[in-house]
Amino acid sequence: MDVTLNVRRFDPESESPESRFQEYNLEVEDYFTVLDALIKVREEVDGSLALRCSCRASICGSCSMRVNGHAKLVCKTKVRDVANAQNQVTVEPMGNLPVVKDLVSDMKPFWDRVRAVKPYLQPEGEEPEAEYLAPNETMLHLAGVMSCIMCGACVSDCTAIEVDQRFLGPAALAKAYRFVGDPRDDADRSRLQMYSQPGGIWDCTRCMECVQVCPKGVAPMDRIMGLRDMAIEAGFSNNNGARHTEAFTDSIKHSGRLDELKLPLRTFGVFNVQAMMGLSLVGLRAFLRGKTPPIIHKAIPGKDKVRRLFDKVEGKR
Amino acid sequence: MPFAVEEEIIRHDAVVLGGGLAGMRAALEAARCGADVAVVSKVYPTRSHSVAAQGGINAALGEDDSWESHAFDTVKGSDYLADQDAASILCREAPGDILELEHMGVIFNRREDGRLAQRPFGGAGFPRTCFVADITGHVILHVIWEQSIRDSVATYDEWFAVSLIVEDGRCRGLVAMDMRTGRLHTFEAKAVILATGGLGRVYEPSTNGLICTGDGMALAYRAGAALMDMEFTQFHPTTLFPSGVLITEGARGEGGHLLNALGERFMSDYAPERLELASRDVVSRAEQVEIDSGRDVNGCVMLDLRHLGRDLIMTKLNQIHELAMDLAGVDLVTETVPIRPGMHYQMGGVKTDVDGRSTLPGLYAAGECACVSVHGANRLGGNSLLETVVFGRRAGRTAAQEAAEEHFVNLTPAIAREQAERIDALLSRSDRGIRTAALRRELGAAMQEHAGIFRDAAGLGAGVDALHDLKNRFEAVSIQDHGSVFNTDLVSALELDNMLDLAEVMVTSSLERRESRGAHARRDYPERDDDGWLKHTIALHTPDGPRLEFGPVTITEWQPQVRSY
Amino acid sequence: MKYAFFPGCVSRGGCPELYPAAVKVCERLGLELEVMEGAACTGAGVLQEKNQLLGDALNARTFAMAEDMGLPIMTICSTCQGTMSQAHKRMADDPAYMAEINEVLAEEGLEYKGEVVVKHLLWILVEDLGLDTLKTFITTPLQGLRMAPFYGCYIIRPTGALGFDEHPEREDSLERVIETLGAESVEYAGKTRCCGFPILTINERNSVSMVANHTLEAKGLGADAMVTPCPLCHLNLDGFQPKAASMRKTSIDLPILHLPQVLGLAMGMDAKSMGLNKHIISAKKLLSSVALSA
Repeated sequence: MDVTLNVRRFDPESESPESRFQEYNLEVEDYFTVLDALIKVREEVDGSLALRCSCRASICGSCSMRVNGHAKLVCKTKVRDVANAQNQVTVEPMGNLPVVKDLVSDMKPFWDRVRAVKPYLQPEGEEPEAEYLAPNETMLHLAGVMSCIMCGACVSDCTAIEVDQRFLGPAALAKAYRFVGDPRDDADRSRLQMYSQPGGIWDCTRCMECVQVCPKGVAPMDRIMGLRDMAIEAGFSNNNGARHTEAFTDSIKHSGRLDELKLPLRTFGVFNVQAMMGLSLVGLRAFLRGKTPPIIHKAIPGKDKVRRLFDKVEGKR
Repeated sequence: MPFAVEEEIIRHDAVVLGGGLAGMRAALEAARCGADVAVVSKVYPTRSHSVAAQGGINAALGEDDSWESHAFDTVKGSDYLADQDAASILCREAPGDILELEHMGVIFNRREDGRLAQRPFGGAGFPRTCFVADITGHVILHVIWEQSIRDSVATYDEWFAVSLIVEDGRCRGLVAMDMRTGRLHTFEAKAVILATGGLGRVYEPSTNGLICTGDGMALAYRAGAALMDMEFTQFHPTTLFPSGVLITEGARGEGGHLLNALGERFMSDYAPERLELASRDVVSRAEQVEIDSGRDVNGCVMLDLRHLGRDLIMTKLNQIHELAMDLAGVDLVTETVPIRPGMHYQMGGVKTDVDGRSTLPGLYAAGECACVSVHGANRLGGNSLLETVVFGRRAGRTAAQEAAEEHFVNLTPAIAREQAERIDALLSRSDRGIRTAALRRELGAAMQEHAGIFRDAAGLGAGVDALHDLKNRFEAVSIQDHGSVFNTDLVSALELDNMLDLAEVMVTSSLERRESRGAHARRDYPERDDDGWLKHTIALHTPDGPRLEFGPVTITEWQPQVRSY
Repeated sequence: MKYAFFPGCVSRGGCPELYPAAVKVCERLGLELEVMEGAACTGAGVLQEKNQLLGDALNARTFAMAEDMGLPIMTICSTCQGTMSQAHKRMADDPAYMAEINEVLAEEGLEYKGEVVVKHLLWILVEDLGLDTLKTFITTPLQGLRMAPFYGCYIIRPTGALGFDEHPEREDSLERVIETLGAESVEYAGKTRCCGFPILTINERNSVSMVANHTLEAKGLGADAMVTPCPLCHLNLDGFQPKAASMRKTSIDLPILHLPQVLGLAMGMDAKSMGLNKHIISAKKLLSSVALSA
């Protein structure tokens, strides 16, 4: 089929280094991936097009880029699956990372995040003479997380990093989960404490972009949620995020519904006057507009049944 | 002049070229031996092709197994060309290295009792392949990389090496281009360890990543180090059509069948005992015979995993399930997938001793780019990952120890300047010349045709001629990208230059070896000839092409026998 | 067309004007609603991160109630929709998990059989009512107005849980509804991004930055208003827009309409009855342009 690749080009050495789109019209085979098409451009049409690629088998993690606005591993993405009705495909470098040239992103901020989570096993005590004994289910579960190929797709489309480069982000935190979840690692407490700091697990907005774009099914957000759970269990609950979750859970447990008025109070803690004032200004504005939640939080009918359900499930842990 | 030369010299005790498993393991060991070590790699370490190794890593861990048995299987698999002292070291040290990897954090699959699980692999008399589902190389590479972060090993990511530096008969460093800036830098080192992996892109198709262009082998060859056994190229029995992407041997290890167009398990005709789990050269040849005899399905035979069941496929072979779906549109749970043999691994490489020393003082090598030789004429599945960690470690240690005895000689950027001139000459050509990719495709097709699974004198002779022609035409290759930053057009041309030199050595060596042994199957010399050819082929660079010599094979315990599976 | 109506917490709590608007609009469209008064909060993904089984059990309880009513569930909230869809998928994929949950429900005499249908009003418009039918209700086409769609994460991701394979039209359903109402849909990157609500009380700066980015981007492309199927997005994009404006030292003033509100406008319903006077960002200017175009 004939396709048009609309590629965002950027040449840092040009006199006016601004990115621009360039169209490439070419014929592709039915089985072509977007990578095959880009390689064909580079080899047959325009040798100056820069991109990274190697394995062609979605394992080396080199070729993440944005296809039609979302991060994809292009060796895993068939042209025919992403071409629009006019047979056009838009290809751009990843988001949230600086661009070196054309489709080549500067991965330094990505690696720096991974390095920041202390991404290596920290066992304590004497090494066993043979292997550590471990349940196969745990190893298989960790293999699911270690399937991460560090391609950067999740970081590219992370909505929290988009507003805050300090956020460790999905790939690094999924890596972090891999160690907390590893029975051989003995640094769980110091890890969970570190990951609970600002820029850590509580800054995820749960938008699921990373789950959607991850080409390997790592579901980084789910790992972040796992870390939150473990952090609370380990007692690292003296932060807004943990308090928010606890307050939310309590509200549903006791009334079946969310109580928006109490939530900020519980989240910030009674003594964080500054934060409370900030939020209450919005509350005041809302009041003037007549848009204000009922002061008396109404429970749902049958709230006792919900509470019993809580007791039963919480009793299972 | 876009390609500027950096005047400042970068100095490390040891410089490792290549960030895959062998390189990272060597660097870790050198660092742990107290050397100031740096890794220079043309890609980020986790992109290295070790990451694509799927099936597993061998070690005799079972109570009924022994390293001797592993070594025998390795020697038999090599068709008796492996040096038996090296094979013994590989197999004797394997259990220790596997346990070390486990302690570093590799999440090997377990048995019910929590100990390491092992799966059967081709050519092995015992299930001794440890694995992490079908992402074994990926997990080991990532774990070694984690360790390198822990130990603060310096890395120069996306730096492309263009030359070694030899002074007074000793390798003293290298010149590499920072791809981010295009500047050429001089590294001075008391030891240089090559760990640049394979050269698979010499063929088309190949299971190898696009980065596998044999750079280290070519640099060593031009610098005067010997290459060994370059005629031995492994064709993997199960690669996807048309991409050539690998399907792990684990698929057969877990019980997968090979079927021809008639639905027959044809391996019973070729290896009645081991069937699909005969060694790779045997299975690939069998497939090729079936295909050449018309019992093929569009140039392929079929791999059938359906009887293994969804659960096993989704837990132990999950990645290949995904690949077959993505690249061939086949659901392995319910369908068979067309596969064919494809170039996978180079047994030959930079000749080294068992401690990684090449024939050039100061230069060491480990992993696929080296030839120790433990694989001889045919490598067993699960032995290549093992080789990277065992001989990566040994090379790293030796290099660090010997570096401690050396002094820096205060190199100048002279070689870097020479290389800048070479690059500038390339860049200043008309950009209407031959495209690198067109020549590379011709190279791949020529190698596939003339130096494929079956070879003969006429074909190999035509191959040598084709190589001479390609090398001549390389002089007219043009580069369209004239920039300095991330110039992949330039890098591709330099890679092709490397591959052309190596391909010439491969066909020349293949033409010379007038027997069939392991993966080297000559139609005109179908038998193994121990009297004439139980010897290593050694290739040395001359301005007129490779000069071949021969060296003895070390035989300790296992006298050559008839090899059947 | 009759539905078990699951209004969600925010449309009756944080933004109480949204619930009556939805009820009135559905009545006008002939969508019969039976409110699920006894159903609990979906957990909104927050409860799930603490205890997934608990969150899923709460939703299974709601599903079982709907099954007893013999009705599909209608939501008016992206977050409710997504949370329920994910719970539904987890149970559908894992019968043992569903059995474990049913064991919890048995105490209350409920059983979830796994056959519930949960649909957001947005999907009901496209799939059940049909856009052609919707067109027949329009009395005040929103001609000349540029509306920026804002989906809310949970109604578009992950696609596997949201039935996008069987219903690919869900991917651009909001744009198509906007166009059916006579307005022009503004194409911008922010439309599938996060509104920031989930981290509002955790990291307000980041949350408000998100509000600023999306509203400013839409505004920059000439949007007159933003339309969202999610009350949580509405709450954040509307309530925290003044803060976003002061953070960026600019004015934004982009009215944020919940989907039923914009439907009501195009169907000639009274702005006040749609609660449009109760937003933080005034919709006055928007209303006068609607009146002009009428």
